Amino acid sequence: MHSLVQTYGKALTTGIWLLAAIWVLGLIVLPQLFVLEQSLWWKEKSADEFEVTQRIDRLYNDVMLWQLDLSSAAPAQKTELEQKIADAEVEIARLEDMEIAAVKVYGLRNYTRMSSLHFQIFVKTIGYAALVTLLALVACYPVAYTVAQLATPNKAALLMLGLIIPYAINELLRVYAWLMILDYQGVINSFLAWLGLVDLEAKTWIPFLEYPGSVFVALIYAYVLFMVFPMYNTIETLDKNQIEAARDLGASTWRIHWRVVIPHAKPGIAVGCIMTFMLSAGSYSVPQVMTRGKSGDWFSQLIYRQFFESFNWNQGAAYSFTLLLVCIAFIFLMMTVFRVGIRDIAK
Amino acid sequence: MRGKDVVLDKVSMSFGDFVAVQPTDLKITAGEFFSILGPSGCGKTTILRMVSGFLGPTTGTIAIGGEPMAGVGPNRRPTALIFQNLALFPLMPVWENVAFGLECRGVPKEDRRRRAGELLELVALTGQGHKKPTELSGGQRQRVAVARALAVEPAVLLLDEPLSALDLKLRQHMRTELRGIQKQVGITFVYITHDQGEALTMSDRIAVMSAGVIEQVDSPDRLYDAPKTPFVATFVGENNVLRGKVGQQTNGMLQAETPLGPVRAANPRGLSHGADAMVFVRPERVQLGVHGVDNQLHGRVVRRELEGPFAQLALETPQGETILVHQTNHGGAADVRVGDEVSFGFAARDALALAAGELARD
Repeated sequence: MHSLVQTYGKALTTGIWLLAAIWVLGLIVLPQLFVLEQSLWWKEKSADEFEVTQRIDRLYNDVMLWQLDLSSAAPAQKTELEQKIADAEVEIARLEDMEIAAVKVYGLRNYTRMSSLHFQIFVKTIGYAALVTLLALVACYPVAYTVAQLATPNKAALLMLGLIIPYAINELLRVYAWLMILDYQGVINSFLAWLGLVDLEAKTWIPFLEYPGSVFVALIYAYVLFMVFPMYNTIETLDKNQIEAARDLGASTWRIHWRVVIPHAKPGIAVGCIMTFMLSAGSYSVPQVMTRGKSGDWFSQLIYRQFFESFNWNQGAAYSFTLLLVCIAFIFLMMTVFRVGIRDIAK
Repeated sequence: MRGKDVVLDKVSMSFGDFVAVQPTDLKITAGEFFSILGPSGCGKTTILRMVSGFLGPTTGTIAIGGEPMAGVGPNRRPTALIFQNLALFPLMPVWENVAFGLECRGVPKEDRRRRAGELLELVALTGQGHKKPTELSGGQRQRVAVARALAVEPAVLLLDEPLSALDLKLRQHMRTELRGIQKQVGITFVYITHDQGEALTMSDRIAVMSAGVIEQVDSPDRLYDAPKTPFVATFVGENNVLRGKVGQQTNGMLQAETPLGPVRAANPRGLSHGADAMVFVRPERVQLGVHGVDNQLHGRVVRRELEGPFAQLALETPQGETILVHQTNHGGAADVRVGDEVSFGFAARDALALAAGELARD
């Protein structure tokens, strides 16, 4: 804080702190608090209240009809209609007051009342996200190691560019590209047909998109950078002499990685796993595009539907908050497994 | 542990167009402390990396203990390398560092612990095994690196300027210690350094390298007293250089025409009349205030630096040449002051004439 003031002066420092505070408060704390609040209450629907809701709906319909009539009505009838509309609006306001006053009940019901199907999807999604993380780790470690330790600086720059360039393309397009590759009559099946292994006419194609694996592939591709970069950054700081020293002392390639490279890269691996896991568990578009409803939903799709199809924000908020809790638990799990502190991760 | 000899036969190394090591023959005897001395970029580390197996020579062959090493990786050579920055594993405790080579060889944990304990005792670090390398001092880390390398019982220990990061006092102490360890374990040490003091004090023999070429291989004494090239004469120890043409020469002595006039010097290389020569005189061989020596000169003191055991004087001759003189400190050395006119001289046998050539840069 003191050094900040020395570097930037009082005014600029205050500005920086203010902006940071607005950012944290406005974009992180308040929305989360709002979601948390939403998740902690629900509308108690008694039979009586159901009737009130129906009456409100009916009155709205009537008002709309009268307004339509009003435009083509004779002047004599106009005042009568206007009077009717005004009465109806008063009645609506009264009923809506009743409705709002009656509904809010606070409690944990939104959290405890997940249906068994939804719970299955929830568990499955967490499992899938963990699997995606594991696969991405296995796929990315050799890449990160090669670029960081083996490649010459020029080659490393080229390889990095090769990794980054696809990210200039919209995520949806990248996912659709995989869709085209894996579809029934997609690139792979067409190739297999050309080889004579499947028959597209007879629909004996391999239904890749019906396997969860297709979502995995697209997810790994979508988030590969988040795994590669943290690992690359840590492996790059490893003194090459340590690898040579280990080799000189007789270590096999496997032992060099297990005893020297991986322990050094642990913070990067932890960060990569955390990011990939959180992004995969919360990804909506990838499972939405890749499954097209042909294989099971992911939890993120459930949350979407709670908000925008069931209009049950309370349940949706509870679902998304549950997912957040699992992600936070995953962070702590990673920190324990890799024995790294917040400080290492922040680096 | 038994030392093995290392033989380089016409070994050269090129990186693209750049020739790091010119074709070189070198025979390092089993059990000796051998140093390769040269300025940075002279190719000494390249030789070390070829012996350790991290680089394959462009031409020629390397044999260790009579066995050709072509195609044998660093992990299967009877060598161990100590890196310039030591390259200790920072995340492992000291004893695991020391026992890492044994771990690679599948030695059970109990035996590893015991052996690491023994080696730590050898390098005077008993009871420090549980610490992390970062908790040790520079000299202690140094000794851990030695113990780690010795753990794999190498026949040849390769050291790449391992003392360069230490301060002077510690460096001098570690010299003695390294030499002691080498005598105790009896294996071949190949020591790379740019510090002539290290090479002179520790080595049985020294190879002096410049620009990819080994200029001379000799004992420290021979190297200092009888350098064979101008580079060695100026790189090892300090030397005054006088350029000139060879005049008359008789049985091992010659007279060279230098800017200071005729100078008589030893002529071990047999330079003939008219050749371009360089005459080298060590500052400690120049005497002040003497008369009747072979080479008699005079000049003015322009600088005086007290080193402790001696004072270094810079004398400027009337011809504008600068001659360095080491005046032994017997007390009362301060008699000579800057600005004094002094006469000085040196015996012909203390001056050495060599064919003109490349000098070492300061």
